[in-house]
Amino acid sequence: MSAMPAQVLFDRTQRLNARLRAVKPEICLERARLVTESYKQTEGEPMILRRAKALHHVLNNMSVYILEDELIVGKQAGKHRAAPLFPETEAIYLEKEIDIFPQRHTDRLLISPEDRRELLEEILPYWKDKCTETLLMKRLPEHLRAAWLGDEHGIFHPEIHVRGSLGHIVPDFERILKEGFAAQMNKAKEKLAAISPYDPEAPSKRQFYEAVIITCDAVIDFARRYSEKAREMARAETRPQRRRELEKIAEVCAWVPANPARDFWEALQSYWFTLLICYIEQNGLAVSSGRFDQYMYPYYRKDIEEGRLTREEAQELLEACWVIHTEIMRAYDLACAKYFSGFAIAMDMDLGGVDKNGKDATNELSYMCLEADKKINNPQPNLSVRIHDACPDEFLLKAIEVVREAGGGMGGGKPAFYCDEVIVPLLVNDGVPLEKARNYVIVGCVEPASPGDTLGMTNACMSNLAKALELALNDGRCRLCGKQFGPRTGDPRKFKDFNEVLQAFEAQVAWYVSNMIETLNLIQNVHQEVYPLPYFSVVLGGCIEAGKDCTRGGARFNYTGPQGVGLADTADSLAAIKTLVFDEKRMTMAELLEALDRDFEGREDLRQILLNHAPKYGNDIDEVDLLARYVGHVYCREVKKGRDPRGGHYRPGLYAVSANVPLGLNVGALPSGRRARTPLADGGVSVKHGMDVNGPSAAMRSVAKIDHEEATNGTLLNQRYNPTALNTLEDRKKLADLIRTYFALGGLHVQFNCIDAGTLRKAKANPEEYRGLLVRVAGYSAFFVELDDSVQDDIINRTEYMEVR
Amino acid sequence: MVHHIEQNEGNGHLGTKGLVFDIQRYAIHDGPGIRTLVFVKGCPLHCPWCCNPESISRFPELAYFKKRCIGCGKCVEVCPHGAISFSQDEGFVADRDKCQACGECAKVCPPKARVISGTAYSVDDVLRVVERDRPFYRRSGGGLTVSGGEVLLQHEFVRELLEEAHRRLLHTAIETSGYGPWQNLEAIVAHTDYVFMDVKHMDSERHRQVVGVSNEIILQNARRVSELVAEEPSRRELVIRIPVIPDFNDSESNIRATAAFVREEVRSARKIELLAYHRLGESKWERIGKQCPTRGLEPPTKDKMDVLRRIVEDAGLDCQVRR
Repeated sequence: MSAMPAQVLFDRTQRLNARLRAVKPEICLERARLVTESYKQTEGEPMILRRAKALHHVLNNMSVYILEDELIVGKQAGKHRAAPLFPETEAIYLEKEIDIFPQRHTDRLLISPEDRRELLEEILPYWKDKCTETLLMKRLPEHLRAAWLGDEHGIFHPEIHVRGSLGHIVPDFERILKEGFAAQMNKAKEKLAAISPYDPEAPSKRQFYEAVIITCDAVIDFARRYSEKAREMARAETRPQRRRELEKIAEVCAWVPANPARDFWEALQSYWFTLLICYIEQNGLAVSSGRFDQYMYPYYRKDIEEGRLTREEAQELLEACWVIHTEIMRAYDLACAKYFSGFAIAMDMDLGGVDKNGKDATNELSYMCLEADKKINNPQPNLSVRIHDACPDEFLLKAIEVVREAGGGMGGGKPAFYCDEVIVPLLVNDGVPLEKARNYVIVGCVEPASPGDTLGMTNACMSNLAKALELALNDGRCRLCGKQFGPRTGDPRKFKDFNEVLQAFEAQVAWYVSNMIETLNLIQNVHQEVYPLPYFSVVLGGCIEAGKDCTRGGARFNYTGPQGVGLADTADSLAAIKTLVFDEKRMTMAELLEALDRDFEGREDLRQILLNHAPKYGNDIDEVDLLARYVGHVYCREVKKGRDPRGGHYRPGLYAVSANVPLGLNVGALPSGRRARTPLADGGVSVKHGMDVNGPSAAMRSVAKIDHEEATNGTLLNQRYNPTALNTLEDRKKLADLIRTYFALGGLHVQFNCIDAGTLRKAKANPEEYRGLLVRVAGYSAFFVELDDSVQDDIINRTEYMEVR
Repeated sequence: MVHHIEQNEGNGHLGTKGLVFDIQRYAIHDGPGIRTLVFVKGCPLHCPWCCNPESISRFPELAYFKKRCIGCGKCVEVCPHGAISFSQDEGFVADRDKCQACGECAKVCPPKARVISGTAYSVDDVLRVVERDRPFYRRSGGGLTVSGGEVLLQHEFVRELLEEAHRRLLHTAIETSGYGPWQNLEAIVAHTDYVFMDVKHMDSERHRQVVGVSNEIILQNARRVSELVAEEPSRRELVIRIPVIPDFNDSESNIRATAAFVREEVRSARKIELLAYHRLGESKWERIGKQCPTRGLEPPTKDKMDVLRRIVEDAGLDCQVRR
């Protein structure tokens, strides 16, 4: 690369990003068409070979193209930022919802009339009786059908892996960059040659290794096609600068990912192909980048030291790579689009943290990545920073700058902060060796795992703790439709003390969790049967050694991770019952339940008492905070009883993504004062919207009372923060101290959503959900929602002014 | 109005108890680090721009948050003094002459639209809340800040509070108008690590007209605090604050004069903070049955604040604008 002035360099990033953001997302049929062609040709062959051949057919025939300004290449679909289809799992909903895609409010996708016809008439008919959803429904026993689908207001939601593949891994990038795919192919060939005919697993191992060989071959061919494309474009290119770039792309793609990366550019390109193909093989989400700043650093440093690259050139390359992360698209069904809205791919990337010896591993690239993200500010990658006691303040403060920038952009809530001192022991206690635990990565949203060798199915399911309490307070019946749904745990009007409420709650949780575990295991059986993942098995450590596909337990670490949602609503409800019904006797259970049945109609006074005269989680009040801890514990205890068909165990998580909204639709009025069908508390262990009136330090003390180490699949704390309180370095240092103290108290994760003008407008219109929003001005104390309309408008205007500064 | 705590008259404290109207955690603009801000009630000045008007009276008073009210009428039923009535035009109205701030209505009010502003706290009561954020102070170098109201009106309570806080190794700060007997301020500052002091106007007559008292005592106390700080400069810090109020003290000449005074006579002040007038207190006046005297007054612009900041800086002082 020739040296160019900085301004010109940065323009490339801006152009790439502007073009990406201008795309109106469409559906692309290319992959669906190719997969169907391949499947028709391989009928009757072992499924793992059919999957490998299908991937080979796709990678060999899909469009390859390179757009203007691009330096790192590789696309997932025939059109820029279009969503490819995966009829293997999606056929049923695609047929049902195809006409909704262009119209729906969340994650809208366009489709042309010709494509629509082809999909409906030529592609989907082949898949309808073969896709995972159909197969699962045929295998689902009656009692699970009743627990999961028997009621329109179901309590757990495993649809993500019924209508999609598994996703949720961090490929072993370090190995792939170092060795390349040709070496993986050779390993498979050696293993194949060494199979003993007496090994009872010889036939399945043979099939597996053959699938690996086909897969590696497909990957290498795919890169070669890009190399040829670049070469061809270079020949036609008249501008010398771009021609040199295209020639370089052609060289890079001719070498990686087949061979070991030799420099930073090759490492970035090899990384991107490796990640991209995870999203072409299967449609599962949250295939994550892991510790990018760690495995990429040796290549960067070598180039800098040997004078092959300047820091500015490296930054430009990095940013060119950064932008394309947001090209990955999915055509979710409507329900999943609600659970994970905003085309959330949850492609996590980790920066900073300790190395395998426990020392700080932050490096120059860590800062460059933060800088890239601050500038590009897109939803992907989903950035995480690992904080530990000896982490440099400078790094933490740089990450806080990104929080402030992300406030008004597409990437709100970034980066997320994680505590090494909580997560490392959590993993060690869960059976991960210390060195691997120190090298942990975050998969998807918040789920910690050993890097490169874990198939954790970490977002297996969303489940509804608030619904369990509803059932406990209604003898197992749904409060919305009256249907007997859970076990009969008794008429609460006859409960003699608060303890009986807790017993009924625990019985409902135990009932639903056991059914959830069996359902999730059945879903995994279907994936083992029809959706093995040979490519995942190449990039995940352990599979080639074991001769086993990752869906059958080939990866070194295996888990299934379902989430409990509604912790704050449940704890607040329990506290209200304890305080107002049993301790103070301000209302009877009968009176309370009648008001809940009527969704508080005509009983606003009672609702206000529930809201204002009982302690609320998030204010550093032990009485209710310990109930939150109890709710989390009950969930974790029940989930940990599960074992999965890959030889792994169940890991409980306490986080929600955006599932708190659709799950809330299934829950009637609650004793916390929450109205029927309204959202549950967001985040996971976050405080119910607006209930934390004592500020962030009190909220964090409350949240830290939950046993985060018990929730081995992760916890999520969303905290609102005022960006005006981040203007000066002094302010940012205070946020840094807030974060470090939360972690010292035992918190696992926190992310900050900056309060923008939009938030304030919502607060003005809907004060109940924003009661805790403090106006922070020296020597002054008041809440935003209590101010006069005109003063509120003033603040909104000022905030808006700041955003466009 | 019959006050239910007669003994409070005069020195504004109840033995070792103090009257506190708010405790705010995670305060980040009132001293170093992350702090807990304790607001004591009662103030000898009557600044018309006051953003905490509930701090002025030295007695508990009933505040009514009209926006929260659901019109259930429970307050009318329980008021032992017949102070609350309902009319079609005005809704629920408390007769402030009959109200004794007994809090019966606040106890039953479902949405907490009626709350008593001002609760008697012992030193221990306050520190029990303050201690909860100790882990946050430890990292950030924060601690306790006592604000008001005017700390000097409850000087014995505030002194005991600060002394006990010091005994527990908490960092302490106060925000004061500086209006009160020197020996009281001296006793408080003895247990204070960080002092914020207001200088509102350099013209004594103008000060008296608007705020109700002349500025001599305040300026004199500022000099003395400065001397005290100078004795142990590593132990204590002093910051002078100027609330910048349009048409009162925002002239360039007044700011220049204040800066000169601080530079010459309050030499240990480490900086001047210019606090731009804001409208956030407006809604609070109505809540306690009073008219906001500065309603409609526009806050100073950013440019204006920048001009004033430069004046302070030109005088050779550090300056921070808060708006």
